This record gives sequence, C-alpha cells and structure tokens, in this order.
Amino acid sequence: MLQYLLKRLLIFLPTLLVISLLAFGLSKMAPGDPVEQRNRDMGGGLQRELRDADRVYRETSEYLGLDKPVFYLSLSSEAYPDTLYRIFKRDERENLVKLIQQYGNWEAISHYYHAIRKADRGTEQLLGKTEAVRSVRPLIKQLYLAYKDERISSLLDKAASQTAGDSTLQATIGISVAQLQETYSQLKTQASPGRLYIPDIKWYGFDNQYHNWITDFLTLDFGESFVDSRPVADKMGDALRWTLTMNLLAIFIAYLLSVPIGVFSAVWKDSTFDRVTTLLLFVLYSLPNFWIATMLVVFFTTPEYGMDWFPSLGLGDLPPEAPFWQRFVEAGTHLVLPVFCLAYGALAFISRQVRGGMLNVIRQDYIRTAWAKGLNAQPVIWKHAFSNALFPIITMFASIFPAVFAGSVVIEVIFNIPGMGKLTVDAIFQRDWPVVYTVLMLAAVLTMSGILVADILYATVDPRVSYGKDKN
Amino acid sequence: MLIGVRKEQELADHLSQQQAPPQSYWSIVRQQFRKNRMAVWSLRVLYLLGFIALFADFIANEKPIYAKLDGESHFPVFRSYAVGLGLDSWEARFFQNSWHEHDYDYVIWAPIPYSAQTMDRNNRNYVAPGDEQDVPSTRFRHWLGTDQLGRDVAAGMIAGTRTAMLVGIVAMSIAAVIGIFLGALAGYFGDERFSISRIRLALNGLGAFLAYFYGFQARSFALSEGTFGWEIFKSLALIAAIMSLVNLLAVWLKGKGVWSRPITIPLDLGVMRLIEVVNSIPGLLLILSIVAIIEEQSVFYIMAIIGLIGWTGIARFIRAELLRVRNLEYIEAAQALGYSEWRIIARHAIPNALTPVLITIAFGIASAILMEAFLSFLGIGVAAEEVTWGSLLNLARSKFSAWWLAIFPGLAIFVTVTVFNLLGEGLTDALDPRRKQ
Repeated sequence: MLQYLLKRLLIFLPTLLVISLLAFGLSKMAPGDPVEQRNRDMGGGLQRELRDADRVYRETSEYLGLDKPVFYLSLSSEAYPDTLYRIFKRDERENLVKLIQQYGNWEAISHYYHAIRKADRGTEQLLGKTEAVRSVRPLIKQLYLAYKDERISSLLDKAASQTAGDSTLQATIGISVAQLQETYSQLKTQASPGRLYIPDIKWYGFDNQYHNWITDFLTLDFGESFVDSRPVADKMGDALRWTLTMNLLAIFIAYLLSVPIGVFSAVWKDSTFDRVTTLLLFVLYSLPNFWIATMLVVFFTTPEYGMDWFPSLGLGDLPPEAPFWQRFVEAGTHLVLPVFCLAYGALAFISRQVRGGMLNVIRQDYIRTAWAKGLNAQPVIWKHAFSNALFPIITMFASIFPAVFAGSVVIEVIFNIPGMGKLTVDAIFQRDWPVVYTVLMLAAVLTMSGILVADILYATVDPRVSYGKDKN
Repeated sequence: MLIGVRKEQELADHLSQQQAPPQSYWSIVRQQFRKNRMAVWSLRVLYLLGFIALFADFIANEKPIYAKLDGESHFPVFRSYAVGLGLDSWEARFFQNSWHEHDYDYVIWAPIPYSAQTMDRNNRNYVAPGDEQDVPSTRFRHWLGTDQLGRDVAAGMIAGTRTAMLVGIVAMSIAAVIGIFLGALAGYFGDERFSISRIRLALNGLGAFLAYFYGFQARSFALSEGTFGWEIFKSLALIAAIMSLVNLLAVWLKGKGVWSRPITIPLDLGVMRLIEVVNSIPGLLLILSIVAIIEEQSVFYIMAIIGLIGWTGIARFIRAELLRVRNLEYIEAAQALGYSEWRIIARHAIPNALTPVLITIAFGIASAILMEAFLSFLGIGVAAEEVTWGSLLNLARSKFSAWWLAIFPGLAIFVTVTVFNLLGEGLTDALDPRRKQ
C-alpha cells in the first residue's frame, strides 16, 4: 500500500510539470503587455518623458520578474541572439523578432534598433523647442513597430524629407536620421536569411521566469496579482470562503436528499415512486444550470412579474461592523438561489448514481439470502446492500473535491458571488495571470489528490481491491 | 460411431429448424433500442433538429426563397450560397433596399421571413410575442418576440440550432479521432507489445525535432504573414517529407549492429498518463483561458478546443475494449496470417470495440453543446454578431421583463441536451448484453 502510494505521488510530478508548462505557456502567448497594463492600472497613464517612461517600464518589469529569460532553454536558429530578452519592451522585442525572421542578421538589426533609439532621444530633446519636431517624432515612434519593407522605407523617406525641410531639425537630428537610413540599407544588403535554417538551442540557466515562478509556487508563494498587487493567496482566501460555504451547503443538501431517494427507488424498482423520481431526476439532470439560474434571477429577484421574493444579485452590502446576526441573515437570503442551483444538479447526479449502484447490489445472491433468512428490511437495505453500493458515491467524491475548490463558474458569475469561479473568470479577462495559473495548478493538484483519495477509500471499503500487486 | 455422428447431425438439423433466423448484432441492438420509447422519441426529435440545422437558411431568412421582380425570377436564398463562395454578387438594388422593401410581383418567403441578424427597425426594444407589433401582416409577425435591436428571436433560435449541432458534431468528431487512435494504441499494444529498433527511435526523435524546427520555427514569419491556409499546408508537407525521409533512412540502416536492437515502448503507460493530465485540468477554465488569448473570436476554435480535451472518455473505452479483444482467438488468427499490426488494429480490433464509444459520443455531444451555450452566454468565444442560444439567453439578463428571451433559448438548449442524454441512455441499455433476453 505504502509502495503504491509512493508510486502514485511520484506520478504527480510529471503531470504537474505538464500542467505548469501549459499554464505558463498560455500566459506567455496571451496578447498584451503585463508591464504596461500594470503601469496603466497604477495610474501611470500620464505622458512621461521618454527616459522617465523607460525607467518606470524597466523598474516595473524588474519588479514583476519579466526582465529575465522566459525559460531554461529556447529552440531557435543561429540568427537569433541569446540576449534578445534584454530588449525589455514586449512589442519592440516582437517587432525585432519579425525583422530577424526576414533578414536573419542580428548585428545589422541591432545597429538599426540603436539608431531608432538615438533618433527617438534626439527628437525628444527637441520637444517644446521647435514645432516641426511634432511631425517627425510620430514617424520615428512608428518605426519601433514597423517590420514590413515598404512601411519602413516610407516612414524613413518621410522622416528624411521632413527633417531636410526644417533647418533646426536638420542641424540637430539630421545625422541620426541619416544614420537610420544607412543602418536600414545595411540591414537589407547584409541580410543572411540562411542562418535562419541552422537550428540552435540556447541555454539560459536557472534564473528564468518559469523557474522563479515554479519554485515560488512550490514554496506556496503564489505571487501578487497583476491588477491590484494583492497577494494571490489573500485574494483566493477571500473568495474561497464564499465558494466553500456555498458548495458545502449544496453538497450537504444534495447528499441528504439523494441517498434516501436513490436507495428507495432502487429497492422498490418499477414502483410509482421509482418511475416518478427517475423521470424527475432525469429532467433535473438535463436542465442546464445557467438557464435555471437565469430564469430564477429573471423571475424571482425582480418586481417585473410580481414574484420579487429574493434579494437581487451579489451578497448584499452590509458593512462589516453590522451585527453578526444581521449579516448572517443577509448572506443567507442571498445564498438561497445559488445554493439551490448548485444542489439540484448534484442531487440528480448523485441519486442516479446511488440508484444504479444499489440496483447492481440488490440483484446479488447474498441479498436474496439475507431476505430469505428473514432479516428485517432495515438491516438488509442499509447494512448488507447499501454499504456495498458505496462505490459510486466514493468515485463522485473524487470529482466533487476539486469542484468545491474551483467553485462553480456558472453560478458565481450569474449570481455575482465573489467566489473562486468568479475570481478566476475575472482574472482571465483582466489577464491577471498569477491568479489564473495558481487556480489552474491548485485545481489540478486537487483533482489528482481527489482521484488518489478515492482509490484509497475504495481499498478501505472493499477488501477485494488491492493495490499491492501490479494490476493490468 | 457412425451412428453417433448421424445422430448429432439430426440434432443439429432439428435445432436449426427450431431457431429463429440468425440475427445480426445490429438488428438485436436496434430491437432493444426500439423497446425504449423515450429513446425512440428522442431520435425523432434529433432528426427534426438535424433537419432545422441543415435547412436553417430556408426556414429563417430575410431573403425570399423565390421572388419575381420586374418580370425577372430570382432565387435569392440559393444565390446567397454562390455569393458566399464568391462566384456571384448582388446587384446594387439589393444592396440599397432591404429585402422586405422591394415591390415584388410575386414572392415566396421563408417560413420565418427574418434572418438572425436582421434588425427590424419598427419593432425595436424588446417587443413581446403577444404584443401588438408594427408589421405589414401576420405573415411578418415576430412569433417569439424581438430583442433590443429588433432581431427576431425565432430566427435566432433557428440559427442557434445550426451552431449547436455543428459544435456538438465537429467537437465530438475531433475527440473521437484522437480518442480512438490513442485508445487503440494503448489497448492493443499495452505496455509490452510495441517495440521498434533503436535506430528508428533515434531517427524519429531527430526527425520530430527537425520537422518542428523547419516546419514551424524557421517558417514562423511566413506562417504569420502569408495566407494562413496555404502556408500551413506547406509546413505540413515539409513535416511529412522530413518524417518519411527519416523513416526510409531507418529502414535502410536497419540490421546494422547494436542499433537494430529493439526497444519496447510502454504505450499504455504513456497514454494513461496523458489522459490523467488532461483530466486533471479544469476544462472550463482551460477553455476560458485559451479563448481569452485568441484575438479572433470564432466558434470553430471552441469546437477544436472542446474536441482536444474531450477525447479521454472515448480513449478509455476503446482501450478497455481492446485490452479484452487483443487476446481473442480471431486476433491471434489474424496475426498468424501475417497481417500487419496496423491492419489488424484498424480492420479487426477497432470495429469490434466501436459500439460502446457511441454512448460516450452521445453524452459528449450533449456536454459540448452545453459548453458552447455557456461560453456564448458569457459572451466569449463567439463573434459578437453571431446569434446563438447562449447569446440570446444572455440578453435576458440585461432586460428582466423580456421573459421570452429567458424561456425559449433555454428551452432549446434543454431539449437538445436531453435528447442526446436520452439517446446515450437508450444506447447504454440497448448495448448492455445482460438485457438481451
């Protein structure tokens, strides 16, 4: 058993590795620049001077750890430099990559990039000194994000003619603009696209974004939210409180009702009770919960139809200093509908499973024997049959386990309850990746643990199940 | 002894006369299935849904099916297919005026004379089904009401049927292909039966690396800038070329020393681990995060993603079946005849294991439809102008008094999901060997 446990725990590792790579990879493929997003959210949307803006950008990206290489190694071609990650602005870096993919000559591209920066700085110093710079500066700025030949050429031509048309400009940035044109033409003449076809694996060492994230994660440091800088663990703690309350209540109610329903409809199979409940449960099971939730919201929380029986969405807005009892009632009335929505689906599912499990058991000979030797209904049903029909209930435990944690996205979004599901959906839309991958990873860990716990419980309930030997 | 044989013969003759004509497996299944009234009815509803999905353009369309205008005959619905393919284009007058405004000599409208996107300016702001509507005649009534923009809900429901059926079928086809392939590998070969020579393994590894590098990495600029379909085709062709070259090389180098020694690859272990990984990812969250990073929203991405994570159930079924089937005598016979492993898997093993997969597929379609409805309910993953059941239902949240937006689309989702669930149940019963009597 212990050996089996160890083996199972070892298997966790590769699975977790794959999931962590998936979550991390997704966050890297996501459009948008978390550094800019954060600067914007922190109220830094004001026009800053270039040098200042660069400094702030660099500081933020260092703070977020985004100035490091992405992964331990990268597969690229010889044309790529191994210091590309040091171009710290994401959109500029991606533009440079597009240039590399066309010309394959990093040295020339690098010269060209520095010439852009030089011209950019030059025009910045002229701001406020001469009006003419206002027409040149946007052209230079656009060069950062231009990669098509026609586009770059036209931008360069325009910049050159504008500069030549104004004497102050010609005197100050004339040289930089000329340099720009020169480096660009060099870039084109020295192109060596052949280097793009020589594979090259670059090693970046352990100080990279993925390594830092995963080691932090394993020491239970989940990082900070990109959006409001609160620790992810705190945010999840708040959300988890509501999710747990709601789900545990719903599951408790569902089990409380479904076990007797399932058992009785199995024992009196084909009775009216069985037929009615089977049909009802089937209908319940097929009712999409987001439809029912929407209907409940539409009909029972608004005065439109004269059935305004429940408070509207959310959890009420009593201040935390209100008396406990009052807050309890407030939260309670707000939770009635969501808990109902969560419970009815679980109820239908669990009862069907219990009924199925019981039906399998009740046909067995030993149950017939138990009846035959004159035992009362109670011990036969509950002791002999039910304890052997526990399997489906145990397997379900495995699937319920992670759901309790991850929350029900559907219900929480519709009823606007600040639980885990809503937290995650909001995080996905705000590209708050630390929250998203923490939830993904923890949900995965819990799912796997749930399956493991179910397997162990199986062995405890049914002595025939043994994990000691290799089974095939 | 001779007498004994004759007696047996007589007995056999006697038995065969008494027995009903031999039944095929499928006729038994069909018979069992027919006994289940609910399942039979759900199959009929499914036919109806399929019909609506197929002929959605003829059921709800703002264009007339046939129109006689200034003495000329037009078939606008048919013609819209040609226009859609770029073979034809509309005359200016069809652009300038809406279809309903022409002065037709004679016209046959679709049963619902609105498309899902048609905005009826006269019936904006949530006109209820029973309200007085500003329409020229009852023929143009909005039987299920309209939404804020004046779009006909009934037309939206018809368009939604097509999307839902398409999502269910395409997603589950992808899942079935992946699931059957991987499940068959795992089940047939198990952990010990799949072995290839070292040289082949090494060369395939190298080939995979080179194929990835030259197919995607080196061509990434062409892939992102050129016409996507054509460039991806070139990449795939390149990859296929590299892989076949490598395998040819392996065949040529085989039988030369240490490199020819076989290595056993535990396929079952690998596939089961993969299933575990996929199953432990919370599916909805994964779909949400993938959809959130795709810039161009389209329902086809949703189908692909649902298919890519929905194959595990099918793979498990096939694996379990093939673990059983591979030890049966007829497989041994096929092996003894010298058929290749792939031929045995494809022609002999899989067909015998396919039936239980139908059950998983039926339930899978139900959950794929549910998933798509929920995603479009949240307003993600489908393009904004596309009308689906989920997006209609979502409109009910912005206008509580519009009960028709809450009831009808939800009912459609419910009915479709129930139909597939009932079919799954019916198949489970019909295929259950214990109930054959």
